Amino acid sequence: MASTFRSPVLPTWCPGCNNYLVLAGLEKAFQSQKLSPSQVAIAYDIGCAGNMADFIKCYGVHTLHGRSIPVAMGLKIANPKLTVVVVGGDGGIYGEGLNHLVSAVRMDIDITVLVSNNYLYSLTTGQTSPTSPKGAKTKSTPLGTASLPIDGVSLVKSINPKVLAKSVDCQSPPSVIAAIEEGIKHPGFALLDISQFCLAFGKQLVG
Amino acid sequence: MTNFLSLKFAGPAGMGIKSAGQLFSRALIAHGFSVHDYNEYPSLVRGGHNTYQVSFSSQKIFSPHYSVDYFFSLAGGHWQEHLKEFSGDTLVFGDENFNRPPSPAKFISLPIKQIIDSVGNSLVVNTVCLGVIAFLLELDTDIFTDLLSSQYGKLAEVNLNAFHRAYDYAKNNYSPHIRHLSGKKLRSPQILVDGNEAFGWGFLKGGGDFYAAYPMTPATGALHFLAEKQKDHSIIVLHPEDELAVANIGAGAAVAGRRVAVGTSGGGFVLMDETISFCGIAEIGMVYYLVSRPGPATGLPTWTSQGDLLHAVHAGHGEFPKVVLAPGNQEESFAFGQLAINLAVRLQTPVVVVSDKFLAESSASLPNLSRHKTVVNQGKREISPKPGYRRYRLDVPDGISPYTIPGQSDGEFLSNSYEHDEFGFATEDSVVAASMNEKRFKKNATARRLVPQDLLFGPKGASKLIVSWGSPSGPILEMLNRRPLPEYNFLQVRTLWPVSARLPKIIGRYRQIIVVENNQTGQLSALLKSQFSFAPHRQINKFDGRPYYPEELYHLITGQK
Repeated sequence: MASTFRSPVLPTWCPGCNNYLVLAGLEKAFQSQKLSPSQVAIAYDIGCAGNMADFIKCYGVHTLHGRSIPVAMGLKIANPKLTVVVVGGDGGIYGEGLNHLVSAVRMDIDITVLVSNNYLYSLTTGQTSPTSPKGAKTKSTPLGTASLPIDGVSLVKSINPKVLAKSVDCQSPPSVIAAIEEGIKHPGFALLDISQFCLAFGKQLVG
Repeated sequence: MTNFLSLKFAGPAGMGIKSAGQLFSRALIAHGFSVHDYNEYPSLVRGGHNTYQVSFSSQKIFSPHYSVDYFFSLAGGHWQEHLKEFSGDTLVFGDENFNRPPSPAKFISLPIKQIIDSVGNSLVVNTVCLGVIAFLLELDTDIFTDLLSSQYGKLAEVNLNAFHRAYDYAKNNYSPHIRHLSGKKLRSPQILVDGNEAFGWGFLKGGGDFYAAYPMTPATGALHFLAEKQKDHSIIVLHPEDELAVANIGAGAAVAGRRVAVGTSGGGFVLMDETISFCGIAEIGMVYYLVSRPGPATGLPTWTSQGDLLHAVHAGHGEFPKVVLAPGNQEESFAFGQLAINLAVRLQTPVVVVSDKFLAESSASLPNLSRHKTVVNQGKREISPKPGYRRYRLDVPDGISPYTIPGQSDGEFLSNSYEHDEFGFATEDSVVAASMNEKRFKKNATARRLVPQDLLFGPKGASKLIVSWGSPSGPILEMLNRRPLPEYNFLQVRTLWPVSARLPKIIGRYRQIIVVENNQTGQLSALLKSQFSFAPHRQINKFDGRPYYPEELYHLITGQK
């Protein structure tokens, strides 16, 4: 499918990565909302998901790690006419930048945060993340993690029940596609926790 | 006859010491005096020992003086730690029986309690002191009446009552202590403004329309000032969850076309460090207003320091162009606030304005800043981008590629924290990486043409040069103006980065070089040594949280009292 949002850069994700689905869902949502690339601004976090920055043509900011949400807030507050989206992972959104997620939810600012949650830091070759199950043995926690995982959806709902917060799983692609469109359409803060299995490093979690 | 005087109010926090001090200053300004205030306070809300000092003159005054002519102890004993500031001419007032204090000053019992009891309100101790000083300096009581009325609203009547009772008491008891001030003259209408407010006015008058800050003394005044200005100016002011958010919300807003500044002190500036670097590579122009206080860490929150010069110059990991400006007085805080946002937008790179507690929280009489013209430079804005637009085009001799803002058709680009190509897409190509770095560094040469020139003061033919930067410029100029030292000139370095190429030639003309800094390690000297052959003969440093005083500098520089 030809897309006005398609950049000349070919995706660099691993073959079979679930982020292709997130990318397709975003493109589809923008088109169904009849948005042009100049009306959309995306703040990307650092990580595999954030590398989508190079694969979409619109206004974009590939931010520092953990800072995608405050940059998105700055874009939206500066120009409320923009459709503003955050693309990040469980490390950037729930770890390095968790305080910013809380603030955005409190403000109920009209941005859509897509969290590609693969329960690991994958771009750095597979360390524990804030959503790894307790006891997970990873490269940085060979003896097992000591901490409980964060549940992003119940966390943000407990802060502000008005926001849209949904958990979807890439094992059901239509639900992911539909949820992204719902998030973009929602007139307020939206968090989509998009559960996915990392083909490169995920087997640590099921081993 | 002396041509300047100093007054100090002292007492615990919560007695209105600052409000009385500022009201006194406004009264002096209304009489045509030049005023420079200075306040000291501990990091607490009630109690402790606070002072507010007002130094004033019929000629321009550049800084407070150490010596005090009038001292008001608003509660018992608050004069005790100020004995060194007193001379035989000092009048010390307090509601106590002074038992021969070890000082040549005249200690005068002022029945504060009796006066406030007669008024029936215990909150007017500060206004009682105003009544006394108004009589002693033969000031116009109508001016005080107007100021008290507008300041106190519902409480105006009780304050006016206290003022007049104290004035009458002074008239009946203190007539021998009247001092006739020399050279009174009216000047153009002035206002009382501190460095933070001046910076805020400058930012507004540079078209600044987005400010974010997390409260941190001594930068908080700028946040309060600009937050209030949202009511009648088109500026958005935010107080986010931390300085990481402050800087990154600022960066997002700047990408979206806002004219942005963020403010903090050293501890918050550290958290903004990564974003300064981001602004460097992504070519985001925004202003970082850094108001220093003594570190390390939480340090001395309500005191002054110039300990962050090298931190500001080196802020941000990696290598990228940056501008660091240091205003030396409140007027320059305004000018550099206005200039900094224009420079940031034109150069598309971070601009740091370094102030400190002494400059930012001290008030001075200045021309009315609200009447200044607004100067807005949009820089190289691409108004009608064509398909194939390259946000980071390399073929720009000045290093500045035309920018678009989100919403513009065909202007799409990626603002990238990764090294990137002309469109903003990430690249690891060695040739593109080197070219992008070279392009960005061309902005250093462009910046040199746009930044403020360093200033040289003093008579021709001087053989000795005092070199300083930032807030000590006030006490240095005050010293040179009150007690002329024809063999000395003063060089105020106003642009800390990029260092002016003219400095070696200027400095080379002098036989002796003395560097004065309000820090321990001589950071300006270290900076200049890193740029050219620089070997100062003397380094004067002060790092106890207090500013320099003109009398102290005269002694340190000349060895004489």
